[in-house]
Amino acid sequence: MDLGMIARLLGAGISVGFGGMGSGVGEGLCAHHANGAIARQPAAADQVVRTMLVAQAVAETSGIFGLLVAFVLVFGSVAGPPLLQFAVALGAGIAMGMGGIGPGVGAGIAGASACEGIGRQPRLSGLLTRTMLIGQAVSQSTAVYSLVIALLLIFVVGGG
Amino acid sequence: MTGRRKLLLGLVGVLALEVALALKAKPEIEIGPIPQWRFSLGGHELTINSRTAVMSWLVMGIWIGAALLVRSRLREVPGRLQATFEFLTEFFQSLVTDTLGDSLGPEKSREYLPWIGSLFLFLWLSNIIGVVPGLEEPTRDLNVPVGCMLVVLTMVHTSAIRKKGLKKYIKGYLQPFPPMLPLNIIGEMAKGVSLAFRLFGNIMGGAIILLVVSALVRYVLLPVGLNLFFGLFVGTIQAFVFTMLALAYTAVAVSD
Repeated sequence: MDLGMIARLLGAGISVGFGGMGSGVGEGLCAHHANGAIARQPAAADQVVRTMLVAQAVAETSGIFGLLVAFVLVFGSVAGPPLLQFAVALGAGIAMGMGGIGPGVGAGIAGASACEGIGRQPRLSGLLTRTMLIGQAVSQSTAVYSLVIALLLIFVVGGG
Repeated sequence: MTGRRKLLLGLVGVLALEVALALKAKPEIEIGPIPQWRFSLGGHELTINSRTAVMSWLVMGIWIGAALLVRSRLREVPGRLQATFEFLTEFFQSLVTDTLGDSLGPEKSREYLPWIGSLFLFLWLSNIIGVVPGLEEPTRDLNVPVGCMLVVLTMVHTSAIRKKGLKKYIKGYLQPFPPMLPLNIIGEMAKGVSLAFRLFGNIMGGAIILLVVSALVRYVLLPVGLNLFFGLFVGTIQAFVFTMLALAYTAVAVSD
């Protein structure tokens, strides 16, 4: 087994492992606050659950990006001298994995407070969900930057 | 035998057939070459990604056709299709006037409705069209999100200049104090990059994950659910997010 393959597997593991951390915490936070909101305002359960699911799907983005980079690393190929391959694959994995932690948690927090807000003011659910989506999308920007750098490393520097 | 049992038996039969076929097939993961049209124009080499071009024209054609169809049979009492279009128009109208009404006034903000509405409709159908077998999302190609992003940035900055005047617009980049100029410019460019790559990453990520997982489970059952999640759900949300961000950036740009 060559150095490049080792690095690609390592990078894939780091990318999914750390990338999933943030999303997991974020989605858990959403569910936590959604439960609190339903306990306070059982009549708004439908709206809260709907918003929670949307929020979780968006909070999952960084985890999905991690999975994407891992798939590209495992099933794709990286060219060049072994040491460069090593650096490229590991760098891409670390960029996506570490970069995914924050946005996952951040998007989760936004979703959590949206759920809580709907529990308090069920009539504003449309406005709150919209604001939540914009906020989550902006807080997810850093995960997008990580993805850009990871893909640049693999496809441009690695020439895979 | 009751109808439900027949249906169940039929489903089990189809599943068994699928598993049998799947076990014979080899998992094959291939991110194939991109079909391209190449031609030269005045000494420059031009490349068009043919599948992307065809698919995005198909999406536009569908919407133009639907709009013409609805227009040709407008009724006082709306039918189902007309009611859908009326709902969409009203939804986006209230969205646009809610967001831009404060700084532009209700009349002027209505000018943004056609742009925002068609941006959403185009991106939405582009994102979910991959659910139909044989068709491919045009947004899977980075060029389409980047193109939409350029349209959005042009619109945002043009409306800012139109509202505030060139002098005040340029002054906005020197806030809070002049040395911040490079940071402000980088911030504007980062908006565009994140807008385009968010859409591209989500759609492309969904497509690649679908490809790999389908090949790993040999096309049995699981891809259907994944297709629903990545195709319909994520596609709709990302189209909405793109449109809302375009609207929000415009609102920030035109407010003082």
